[in-house]
Amino acid sequence: MLVPITYTLRSLFVRRSATFLTVLGIGATVAVLAGVLALRAGFTTLFVQNGRDDVAVFLRQGATSEGESGITRETCDRLIKTLPQIAKAGGPEGAPLAAMECYLAVRRNKLDGGGETNVPIRGVEAASLAIRGDALRFVEGRALQFGSDEVVVGRKLVDRIESCRLGDVVQLNTTPFRVVGIFECDGPFESEIWGDFERMLVALQRPVANRVVAKLVPEAQGDGFEPFATMLAEGDAYQDLKVIAKTERAYLAEMTGALGTTLLVLSLALSVIMGLAATFTATNTMLSAVASRTHEIGILLSLGFRPFPIFLSFLFEALVLGLLGGAVGCLLALPINGIETGTTNFATFTEVAFAFRVTPPVLAGAITFALVLGLLGGAVPAWRAARLAPTEALRRR
Amino acid sequence: MVSFKLVRRYLGKHKVRSILTIGSLVVALFLLCMLRSLVVALDAGVRGAKRDRLVVQSAVSLFVDLPQSYQSKIAAVEGIETICKWQWFGGRHPTEEAFFAQFAVDMSELPKLYPEIAIVEGSFADVAAERRGCVVGRTLAKTFNWQLGQTVPLLGTIFPGPPGDGWQFTIKAIYEPTSSAVDGNTLFFHWDYFEETVESTMGMTPGTGTYFLRTAPDADQVAIAGAVEQLFDNGPQRVTCSTEAEFQAQFVSMVGNVPFFVAAIGGGVLIAIVLACINTMLMAFREQLHDAGILKAVGFTDGSVAGLMLAESLLLCGLGGFGGIALAKLSEPGLRAALGSMFPGYEVTGETLLLASALTLAVGLVAGVVPALRARALRVVEALRSVE
Repeated sequence: MLVPITYTLRSLFVRRSATFLTVLGIGATVAVLAGVLALRAGFTTLFVQNGRDDVAVFLRQGATSEGESGITRETCDRLIKTLPQIAKAGGPEGAPLAAMECYLAVRRNKLDGGGETNVPIRGVEAASLAIRGDALRFVEGRALQFGSDEVVVGRKLVDRIESCRLGDVVQLNTTPFRVVGIFECDGPFESEIWGDFERMLVALQRPVANRVVAKLVPEAQGDGFEPFATMLAEGDAYQDLKVIAKTERAYLAEMTGALGTTLLVLSLALSVIMGLAATFTATNTMLSAVASRTHEIGILLSLGFRPFPIFLSFLFEALVLGLLGGAVGCLLALPINGIETGTTNFATFTEVAFAFRVTPPVLAGAITFALVLGLLGGAVPAWRAARLAPTEALRRR
Repeated sequence: MVSFKLVRRYLGKHKVRSILTIGSLVVALFLLCMLRSLVVALDAGVRGAKRDRLVVQSAVSLFVDLPQSYQSKIAAVEGIETICKWQWFGGRHPTEEAFFAQFAVDMSELPKLYPEIAIVEGSFADVAAERRGCVVGRTLAKTFNWQLGQTVPLLGTIFPGPPGDGWQFTIKAIYEPTSSAVDGNTLFFHWDYFEETVESTMGMTPGTGTYFLRTAPDADQVAIAGAVEQLFDNGPQRVTCSTEAEFQAQFVSMVGNVPFFVAAIGGGVLIAIVLACINTMLMAFREQLHDAGILKAVGFTDGSVAGLMLAESLLLCGLGGFGGIALAKLSEPGLRAALGSMFPGYEVTGETLLLASALTLAVGLVAGVVPALRARALRVVEALRSVE
């Protein structure tokens, strides 16, 4: 026979000041964990979910990011003009949907007075915009006009970085570029400044392109991509170029790998350390719950309740404490959802802006963590309660 | 007066609870010390910076190299005693996962620029005698278990290595930094080996990412920096000449809101631990209600009964807090070794210890004040009527 649940719930209510303090304590712990997880969720969604499988990124062999990569114009030309796997605009006779891009992290001042940071500048070609298609939207001003000294700016930079508003002038080395448009684009591009590839090479004194991006024909997507990449790296036709291809999704996932792992390790370490402290608190509360109800436990035992249901009853009480703490923690963490922040991604050494995302998996993780805390904290006290001898327990008042 | 013996006895009466509370305090204070030390570590390079060192870099980007032709023009500026090329190499070890920094430098100038690089094994002369010779930090050597004379292979991510063997460096000296201006996790190697190899593999003469300068001690650094910047105002690459502190600070500002996040986490830890201590002290108060009545009945004043509660709280928190602080200090060398590549300047500073002690005291006071006030207001008859 199980101890009635109402007994457990009412005892939590009777000892409400202890319950309240414990729940808040667990809540604070859970909120910290949820915050770190939300940061990670925001960061990885931005990169990975928006990476495309139908777009290939070509880099120099050995380079891990486009900043490190460099591909000569001749190599780019050969790739773009001869690879049959690159899709053509408007039918087989059209121009290849592929573009050379240069990429440089430039020093810019933050608007919040926090000093300098590195903002990615990307030199693009007309095909770069065509590949993005409808995902690229100009929300202010107009699109980039190729051949002139203008740039368009990602929306996330406007309020964070100096001289990124419409009409402002971005000085690159000795050349001024006018901001003619603000764009939105899913993925990390919203933290970038885009200009004409050719003009950027001249202004920044860059000798070569950093990468080539291309839309793939359907045959080279999905399962067809692996053979294509192998052919490029190892096949006789292209081996001498020393170029490798990755899908955009795989490339962006690599860019976030280090920071994502750091955040995950951080949240795990924090939850273990803080969880230990929270477990101690829960154990204290439950020990005192058992101590103050020793007499009642004696009555329950003499009424014929077996030790195991009593054990379960106290464990359940601890779980409810944990659950309440988890709920409080989630409530505390919810307001940070959508808050935008920025940090440097050390894989590219550039700043990316992204929003905290309190996603269902984040909440589920937080609640699970809280339940584990309750379970660990309640186990010993519940065991103690179940092992009481009825006569001894009844004698205590 | 509050009897210390009484305080100790009360805490000893509920051993498990006292130990658990102390345990969570140890954990919390340890965590707070560690988090603060991580933030402090970010500033290590800035703190160790010297006034007479200047850094010249591209005004556009950290990733744009400066032509080598700049060197003689900069060196001609009056007041500059040493100029050293300094190029980020960005290589990866073929088998080790951990990342560390490597720089191609003018090896003959390095000791003049950074006297803080104290050689503990081998010598700069040995490095000079070997084209592929390099100097590595002691921490780095320990991490990978490298010995003097050993060859270190690296894969170039920015600069592809020579065909065949790839990049190979021979450890000819091991250094130990004497200030936080220098990171003990770095590999320095010859500019000449770098330049000749890049010329043969990439067919171009490499530029240098930065020039590090050392001025005469009594020179006017601001004037020198201005003169250097003015040299290249009309291109081809504009430059920024900043003090070493400013140069290091740009890396600190890159981490953005991280210090704020860490502070938020620390706040969460602090709230949780304060609540836990209040909880414990309230439990203690309820159990001592009867005793408090007896104490008052036999003539203890209101103040001393309240003082008893407060002293209990302070002792409990003091034990836990200082345990945590001691743990943080004791684990410092171990954590520094473990966090080496990411937080080279990890250090539990005196300021951190002081701050943590103040927090411990504050937690003890906050947790003790409510039960103390209630004990003070307690009426003897009511207290005696209560049962334990």
